[in-house]
Amino acid sequence: MNDAFRIHRRDLLGGLGAAAALSAFGYGPRAAMAQTASLRAAITGYGVVNTLDPAKASLIPEFYVIWSLFNGLLKFDDTMKIVPDLAESYRILEGGSIEFKLRAGVTFHDGSPLTADDVKFSLERLLDPATASPNASKVAAVDHVEVIDDLTVVVRTKTPFAPLLTFLTNARTGTQILPRKAFEAMGAEAFARKPVGTGPYKLASWDVGSGLKIEANEAYFGGAPTIKTVEIPLIAEEASGVTALLGNQIDLTSTVPTADVPQLMRNSAVTVFRQLGFNVRYISINLTKPPFNDVHFRRAVSMAFQREAMVQTVLFGEGEPLRGFFPPLLGANHTAAGHSVTGFDPAAAKEELAKSKYGAAEYPVEVLTWGGGWWKRFAEIFVAQVNQVLGTKFSVSVTDSNAAFARQQKGDFTAGVWGWLGMIDPDEYMGDIVHSAGWRNYGKFKNAEVDGLLERARAELDPATRARLYNQAEALAIEEVPIIPCFCSNIHNLLRKNIKGFVQKPYSNFGDQFAHMSIV
Amino acid sequence: MSDTKVHLAARIATADFRQSLSRSLKATASRLASALLVLLVGSLVVFLTIKAAPGDPALSVLGEQASPEAIAAFHKEHGLDRPLAMQYLSWLGGVLTGDFGASLTVAARQPVSALLFAKLPATLFLGFYALFLAVAISLLLGTLAASQRGKLTDTVCTSISVFGISMPDFWLSYVLIYFFGLGLGWFPTYGYVSPGESLVDALYVGFLPALAIAAPMAAVFSRTLRAVLIETMTRPYVTAARAFGLKSGFIFLHYTFRNALVPYLTVIGLQIRYILGGVVVVERIFGVPGVGSLMVDGSFQRDYPVLLACTIVFLAIVLLVNTVTDSICTLLDPRRSR
Repeated sequence: MNDAFRIHRRDLLGGLGAAAALSAFGYGPRAAMAQTASLRAAITGYGVVNTLDPAKASLIPEFYVIWSLFNGLLKFDDTMKIVPDLAESYRILEGGSIEFKLRAGVTFHDGSPLTADDVKFSLERLLDPATASPNASKVAAVDHVEVIDDLTVVVRTKTPFAPLLTFLTNARTGTQILPRKAFEAMGAEAFARKPVGTGPYKLASWDVGSGLKIEANEAYFGGAPTIKTVEIPLIAEEASGVTALLGNQIDLTSTVPTADVPQLMRNSAVTVFRQLGFNVRYISINLTKPPFNDVHFRRAVSMAFQREAMVQTVLFGEGEPLRGFFPPLLGANHTAAGHSVTGFDPAAAKEELAKSKYGAAEYPVEVLTWGGGWWKRFAEIFVAQVNQVLGTKFSVSVTDSNAAFARQQKGDFTAGVWGWLGMIDPDEYMGDIVHSAGWRNYGKFKNAEVDGLLERARAELDPATRARLYNQAEALAIEEVPIIPCFCSNIHNLLRKNIKGFVQKPYSNFGDQFAHMSIV
Repeated sequence: MSDTKVHLAARIATADFRQSLSRSLKATASRLASALLVLLVGSLVVFLTIKAAPGDPALSVLGEQASPEAIAAFHKEHGLDRPLAMQYLSWLGGVLTGDFGASLTVAARQPVSALLFAKLPATLFLGFYALFLAVAISLLLGTLAASQRGKLTDTVCTSISVFGISMPDFWLSYVLIYFFGLGLGWFPTYGYVSPGESLVDALYVGFLPALAIAAPMAAVFSRTLRAVLIETMTRPYVTAARAFGLKSGFIFLHYTFRNALVPYLTVIGLQIRYILGGVVVVERIFGVPGVGSLMVDGSFQRDYPVLLACTIVFLAIVLLVNTVTDSICTLLDPRRSR
């Protein structure tokens, strides 16, 4: 067991009070010790990291760390533009395949050079059914990867696939590049525990359930990081993350409980980073079961609650109401005006209910949720509003996230709160959720016309034309209410004032920032 | 006494001894057997409960993007496609040979025994620390309250006890953090130092979490102690001792306190299991890398080898504590051995 997450004496020197208390223990002189050279960047709200193999990673805390250890062919810059990372340049070929020129002189943590073959290996491994990668869908359109020479590689697609560039970035994609030789020598399990990447940091130790420690890769192609070691404690309770940071036991958190945000914004000792994130929160409904197999009932419910009030009570204002499938950050894909069927209109809602073949309280509906935080409040506020407006008998059923998730996947649910964070391509917000073959289409929505539009949009490489296709698909699908969009929430990071250089990106980035951060 | 009589007495004594030895051996054996039964039944109940709960470790590991094929492959790889009885029996078979199996989720299949060895010391340290605090606080409050019965000191001590009993540990944890950690800045708000690294730091950093666990117990202990002390104080032998003119301190130590110890210790023994409950909650809030946190993560992730191993450890601790308390009480009160 390593000692990465033990408190070090210097960390105990919280404030004057702590220093005074410590002097009683004989540590007085140490109180003068300067700031720590090590960054303490806590992953909050999550207690576990199961793997550090990008192909196997699925939880966001896993990616938080992976982003510091690996690189993708591409990345998002500070303005969310896609720019080369391990690639030096790229060019889109006829038919949507992409040719990448790799950076020369890049080495992995074990000293071996990055070659086109490593790219081929990493991406084709995701495609291989034997890998059983949860991220396989990111390269589903890839046919094979062709090595032209040591530093040139072509990702060949079966058909044009618009999201491909996004999916090859160092984000929540799993397409990060790993070394073929080291991986084959170590085997998948050992690699998942002691990964070898090209990133600015390499893994120093990993204390299961407590946290990880990474140290600077002095040979990093982007220049050696200023901060030499980063401790990454896993703090399962978000509230503990806040008190740990206020008590100077950590420097940075990956989330902040929304209820604490207003108060923390007034605290001069800390900086709150916040912005609208890449996410959508919605009520997932089962279209194969009564009462949600009736479109009028669905419309009635969708118009029976105030999304603005929800944002205020569930998120304490930290978000925006959502009246379509796309978050506002998706630009032209997002329909700012929304749709009438997703607006609060009690009279229209009652009219729709009257048209429905089901009475208000004919079928009691359990809305699945989990935990004790805002996900639970989300379900409660929804149920309370709908019951009040429509006279329905909805109730809240609280479980844990694993159970809620398993039941949705099996179709063993009537309704539940749901949503994702960190998805960046419009296809992930509509294609995955309302296309009849979408892997997140838990409600089993099916509409051939919508399917056709979504398939065209997925293959359309011109962004403007693509956005128009999504607008059409959304206008068509939303009338049938396949899901009930509710809101889009802000993402937050909490930093101590002496930590500089963190740039927050709306997909909730983390480990990718350590390399250009400093402690003053 | 004649020789025959001595001889007879010796023979009776030997027989008595043999009898009592075989009785105590039998008692130990039956206690051991019942302990094993408790462990077996306990593990089975937990196994069935986690299997009956909706959820799947494959979903924790593979995430929502997992294809049905990937989930099936995961189940096959970890033997989760076998019938429940087979899964349990193969786990049990492993445990009997000292192999707790591999975690289904955390850190790419780490052996559970390694996880336990890494996490147990922190939990034991925190548990003993909390017990020590609870006993120390209750000795002070209980004795004070009993000796000052009906006076202001008694009221204050009793009120503190009521407060301690009524506070849920998670709430108390945050109150302690806000007051002593953030407000006064006396203690760190998060983290852990192992006693092996530095005992002083370990006691210092561990004080708030240990206190959060100890407070409800200290309250129960001191109320018990106060009640039994007051009861014993009115016993005829105490009155007699006082009539003989023995010093009140002497009476307290040798007559009142010693006789009050048995019910007091029994209550401690019964309450110790709540330390384990407290540990699970408090470890998570303060970030103590112990078995409690492991258990919570194990159950959230439906990682039954991890959860079962934690259950076994907790059950074993409770059984051990019960045995130790019983023996101490027997030592203190010879009547009990009959």
